[in-house]
Amino acid sequence: MTGLVLSADERLAPRSMVRRLLGRPELGAVVGAAAVFVFFSFAADSFLQWSSFGTVLYASSTIGIMAVPVALLMIGGEFDLSAGVMVTSSALASSMFSFQMTANVWVGIGVSLLVTLAFGAFNGIMLVRTKLPSFIITLGTFLMLTGLNLGLTKLISGTVATKSIGDMEGFPAAQDVFASHWTIGSVDLQVTILWWLGLVAVATWVLLRTRAGNWIFAAGGNADAARAVGVPVARTKVGLYMAVAFCAWISGQHLLFSFDVVQSGEGVGNEFLYIIAAVIGGCLMTGGYGSAIGSAVGAFIFGMTNKGIVYAQWNPDWFKFFLGAMLLLATLLNAWVRRRAEATA
Amino acid sequence: MRGITKEFPGAKALDGVDLDVEPGEVHCLLGQNGAGKSTLIKVLAGAHQPDSGDLAWDGEPVVLPSPTAAMRHGISTIYQELDLVDGLSVADNIFLGHERARFGLTRRGETATAARDLLRSLGHPEIAPGTEVGSLSPAQQQIVSMARALSHDTRLIVMDEPSAVLTQDEVGNLFRVIGELTAAGVAVLYISHRMAEIRAIGTRVTVLKDGRTVAGGLPADTPTAQLVALMTGRESAYDFPQRVPGGEPPERDEVLRVEHLTQPGSFEDVSFTVRAGEIVGLVGLVGSGRSEILHAVYGATRPASGTVLVDGKALPPGRVTAAVRAGVGLAPEERKSQALFLQDSVVRNVSISSLGRFSRFGWLDRRRETAAAAERVAALDLRPADPQRAVRTLSGGNQQKAVLARWLLRGCRVLLLDEPTRGVDVGARSELYALVRELADSGVAVLFVSSEVPEVLGLADRALVLREGRIVHEAAAASLKESHVLDLVMEESAHE
Repeated sequence: MTGLVLSADERLAPRSMVRRLLGRPELGAVVGAAAVFVFFSFAADSFLQWSSFGTVLYASSTIGIMAVPVALLMIGGEFDLSAGVMVTSSALASSMFSFQMTANVWVGIGVSLLVTLAFGAFNGIMLVRTKLPSFIITLGTFLMLTGLNLGLTKLISGTVATKSIGDMEGFPAAQDVFASHWTIGSVDLQVTILWWLGLVAVATWVLLRTRAGNWIFAAGGNADAARAVGVPVARTKVGLYMAVAFCAWISGQHLLFSFDVVQSGEGVGNEFLYIIAAVIGGCLMTGGYGSAIGSAVGAFIFGMTNKGIVYAQWNPDWFKFFLGAMLLLATLLNAWVRRRAEATA
Repeated sequence: MRGITKEFPGAKALDGVDLDVEPGEVHCLLGQNGAGKSTLIKVLAGAHQPDSGDLAWDGEPVVLPSPTAAMRHGISTIYQELDLVDGLSVADNIFLGHERARFGLTRRGETATAARDLLRSLGHPEIAPGTEVGSLSPAQQQIVSMARALSHDTRLIVMDEPSAVLTQDEVGNLFRVIGELTAAGVAVLYISHRMAEIRAIGTRVTVLKDGRTVAGGLPADTPTAQLVALMTGRESAYDFPQRVPGGEPPERDEVLRVEHLTQPGSFEDVSFTVRAGEIVGLVGLVGSGRSEILHAVYGATRPASGTVLVDGKALPPGRVTAAVRAGVGLAPEERKSQALFLQDSVVRNVSISSLGRFSRFGWLDRRRETAAAAERVAALDLRPADPQRAVRTLSGGNQQKAVLARWLLRGCRVLLLDEPTRGVDVGARSELYALVRELADSGVAVLFVSSEVPEVLGLADRALVLREGRIVHEAAAASLKESHVLDLVMEESAHE
């Protein structure tokens, strides 16, 4: 064996714990999150209070619940631009079906689950059948759902919002599941935080410990190779779109049961927040690389920025500008950290 | 396989192929690029469906509607284009698609152990099952591909040019594994351009030409000339163009001078010169620093120290633009990804480095651009002779000609060629050799890298032998013997 091959072997020796940590996709996001945290700790006095912590976590969870499946989808090599309005569609379906057809909100919740999963399946099946880029297909469903949300709501309710379902049977129980909160000390914790952390845990476990996880990486990393060895790439991708739909259903029900009405125009633009959270969290735009935990850190950065600006009492007119700048900086830092980590690894 | 045909839009890839493979034999498949080898193995792998013809497996007719079905019958394929997933670990890649799993949960311990056993049996215990595949060298990735093929209960392994990315002793190792497999009754369908390999391990040979079997089941010791004649429809093997009569190139001006070029870990203290009209060949193992030296000369990487001079003027290190302006052109090893715009036409690909010449006030004169490019394309006898054709549709040899035409149009002084005949079939090689010689005769200084020693000895005027990043020998190519060069290249590697 040549000396050269031997020197190549050294690179393959089991890497130290630190090295392995440096190679994780979410590393850059963690450093970015720390930087954002330190920044607002100085910029906003009330940012470090425990009560603020609950608010920040809540803001993070609303994005984070969707960022998890969007991250999986990106690892699988696809986008979903319809994810933002799909949340609203799901809430509208639940609310209007309950109001028009029955007296029990749980029926509406069940129907909404089926309808939303059907939207996801439509995205996935269109993708694997037509072989068009997912950008185009989901841009199409994004526009269609936006129109459907407004059109059907006006047709059925007569206004741009749904009728209140607050006095219907099952409402308090459903509110417990999707929109309750408890107070621990001075911290007010929303149930969405539990949903979020649960989804992150399940997604991480699926990615790293199940064959479906391998298939997701393979479908996004090298779809041809995956197909050649018998990975059901098409089924994996349809499944991923349905996972996005499932989480859109959870978010949608939260949206509905936080109040008792839904505005039909909500959700537009949120799809980009999900994608941004996933990208900050280390997902590659090209697929085949990323993590669910990273998407959670990305969502946390969003939550801190979102609320930190409020606590810092900056002019809210500038909110979007600060948000954009923060996200850009966090992503740059992320890329920089990863390059450094690769250089030393 | 009997009378297999397969048509693609616009081309009949297979037009009646017969092939039979017996248990325990190494059946070699020969044919030029475009002869239908790749399509044939895709039919075998279940990736393509034949339009007509029959497949029989164990004497029973069989259809292979999907890759999974082929694998279930015990057919595994190692493709030429490595088909691994970079982001997954070695073990996950090996068992991708047939994971060791229960209730959907992967059994990581078992998977890692099984992967380690497979890699050990392939003679590569140093590849850790947990390593991400993206961080492995191409040769190591090839081993992982093989391990994957063996991870099935395999009875026929199809290998498409497995030796292309391997060094000499890795090829030896591959042959040992093939020997063990055939001894156990596994059949191997082996595709290679290298006659020596077919001699070394082949049992029988089938030759394809233009999608047809022109000879089936020949003994492996069929004379090379006869095999080449079958493949090309011509008589002779590829031959090298005549050097300048008298053996010594005339004393021309020195064009390229490299002084003490050093890049720790890749190459050290490399100095040499190339004169106008001279062809210098760099020969060494994969990893000996040969490609890295070319990249440093081209300015694609910045060496730690040392100077590159063209026509006596030092180039700023690490600046491709400056190198190109000084007249340096590179035809890289990975043509498709590093040199060509595959979707674009031949003309656009050829003119890309000389656009300034055809533009006026920011507008391109498309007519002049096309005419000039077409002229170079015709001069190189690039086929089909349609300069508007997308480069993607050309064969490997003609794609290489398009790259050469680019530098010809630019009018370069120094031409760097990295494995110029990789993936180029035998018939087209002779043409490329003749072209390189013509370019040199027109006054270009040529520096080329090749893993094939006979190519360097046959084509170059002078050969530089590299070992572990250092030039260990320099001599007129005509005076060197192949066995001597191989000794030099591998001297250090003889002992473990």
